[in-house]
Amino acid sequence: MDIFIFEAAGHYFGIEARYIYRIADGVVIVPVPLMPGCYEGLIYYRGDLFDVVDMGRLMENEVSTLHDDPYIILLKWNAGKLGLIPDRVVGMKWVEDNGGTGTVFNERGDVVKLMTPDEIWSKLAGLAYGT
Amino acid sequence: MELEKYQKIFSQESSRYLEELDSVLLKVENDLRDQQLWGEIHGKIHSVKGMARALSMMELANFCHAMETWCKLFQDGDKTPDERVVQLFFDGTDLLKAFVAGKGEISEPRDLESLRSISEDLAKDPEALADQAEPEMRTSVAPGKIDRIRVDYALIESLLARSQEIMMLEKSLPPLTQDQISAGIGSWINHYISMLKGLYFQLAQLRLMPVQDFGDLFVKTIRDLAKSYNRDVKLEVVGGEIEVDIGLMDRLREPFMHLLRNAIAHGIEPPDEREKAGKDREGKIVLNAERHGDQLILTVQDDGRGLDREAISAYLEEKMGMSPEEMNSLSNEKLLNIICRPDFSSAKETTQLAGRGIGMNVIAQAIEYLGGTMKIHSEPSRGTRFVISLPLSLSIIYAVLFRLGKYVLAIPTSHVHTIENMGSEPSREISQFCDLGSLLRVDDETRGNGHIIRLRPSVTSGISQSEDEGLGISADAIIGNMPLMAIPLGELLAKTGLFAGVGIMENGDISLILDVEKLQAAAA
Repeated sequence: MDIFIFEAAGHYFGIEARYIYRIADGVVIVPVPLMPGCYEGLIYYRGDLFDVVDMGRLMENEVSTLHDDPYIILLKWNAGKLGLIPDRVVGMKWVEDNGGTGTVFNERGDVVKLMTPDEIWSKLAGLAYGT
Repeated sequence: MELEKYQKIFSQESSRYLEELDSVLLKVENDLRDQQLWGEIHGKIHSVKGMARALSMMELANFCHAMETWCKLFQDGDKTPDERVVQLFFDGTDLLKAFVAGKGEISEPRDLESLRSISEDLAKDPEALADQAEPEMRTSVAPGKIDRIRVDYALIESLLARSQEIMMLEKSLPPLTQDQISAGIGSWINHYISMLKGLYFQLAQLRLMPVQDFGDLFVKTIRDLAKSYNRDVKLEVVGGEIEVDIGLMDRLREPFMHLLRNAIAHGIEPPDEREKAGKDREGKIVLNAERHGDQLILTVQDDGRGLDREAISAYLEEKMGMSPEEMNSLSNEKLLNIICRPDFSSAKETTQLAGRGIGMNVIAQAIEYLGGTMKIHSEPSRGTRFVISLPLSLSIIYAVLFRLGKYVLAIPTSHVHTIENMGSEPSREISQFCDLGSLLRVDDETRGNGHIIRLRPSVTSGISQSEDEGLGISADAIIGNMPLMAIPLGELLAKTGLFAGVGIMENGDISLILDVEKLQAAAA
């Protein structure tokens, strides 16, 4: 399967390419109050609302090196929609299908953590919201 | 012209019922004694009959009535149908289709012969059909022209969202150079945009349904409710041709159901009591639809005994400690609105209030959530009328947009009473104030001088609040009053417990629509 690899807070993450809807840039992220620290805001992209999160803060609880105009990896799966902000987009890589999760290695030997959108979503949904 | 319009509606709706009737007949053929299926068949024929009667198509209505009589026998288990009966109903359905195609008339010799033969059979005892010789099978007719398809409502919503987004691209159009203008690109773009707008509004037509269809959904329910309360009740729909956003109608199903149940259980009297009072034995519930500008006015009126004012007075005295003088000073509207109070049901138990308590708070809340209002009128022994005003479309709402720190927030305009400068003397005292900045944890450094947005008192709060007692909330700067495309909250935003939806402005910018009910609860 093809996986899409990106870097966030010094770590590499991979998501199966079929979940990638678009890589957007130049989109204004609208802040939302009462959301967790990793939640950057909302974007309205081609008729859909996407929650946008800082992947580094979500997964590693580390402040990432966000740019002013970051790339946003837009994921769409089943009924879910989510935008991820990485520090850097690495690229695509083909690996043997291992069921969608686990760890793979890229050519340089760096550890890439392979994740599904559901895993990212459940981690995000488990954070504290509201007053 | 009006008649043509009604005939078109009749033709569309009856065809739909008859297509569904074929499907149910196929099911009942496998389970002849299924009384529920016979009830379903009855309901569909009854709907066709109701529409035919409204258009004075009496021959068609009488034929439906004869079929209904048999349905009732099978539905109640008084008679047992066999395959011959089902075949007769299939033949009857084919004949009904011919009637509908002929706008209530048939002229083909074959159809006339069929009408004579089926009518003769329907006049007999169903069980006598088995003793007859096998009838000649009618020739199978190919299905009619396919001129309609069923489309998932979600697909229409998605198409609308997409076309609206394309329209929004107009706002991001860069300025054209003189060369581009002279090359005709400007006029081409204008033409393109006007075509897109036309497409959008045609797409918007797809999600409209006539109010008559909405009323027809309840025909069977009313029949069942009336039967269980020993009442004779009919529903009359006025203005049924008005088309309304299907999303709005769907959200009105539950409130409308509550109103009907209350009208039948507590409003409309038993037939004997009505007769003694000089009324028709059959009670009437009228659903009236009118369009006023961008508002839909739905009136639900019954001709029953009206609200029990003595019981309302007893409630005011017992629960709110009001003296008779204070009660007399209340306007009729405020007095009747008491039935929308959340604790009115429990008061009913202690005061033996005979009517209208159950569910009224739920109805008022649902209507307020839809951005609407409800007024109650009632006269003893003449009936009760609920006048509900709602925005015609759910997807576009008008809202007051304002800034608070780095956030852009919105409140539906229908909830806003006044906006005042923070520095100026308030026109009235604010009894309830919500520091939205603190509630949303807005950084003080980003705050401006600000305004106070005073909200209208909640409908669901009942009579205890006056216009002066609406909640005041803080705002840094007012952006304006503008239309928003309202999108439901996602799972994450819903967890904050303070927002009702996300609003998309005409230029594509996003705002967060505050949930006024929840704000009021937070302030309290």
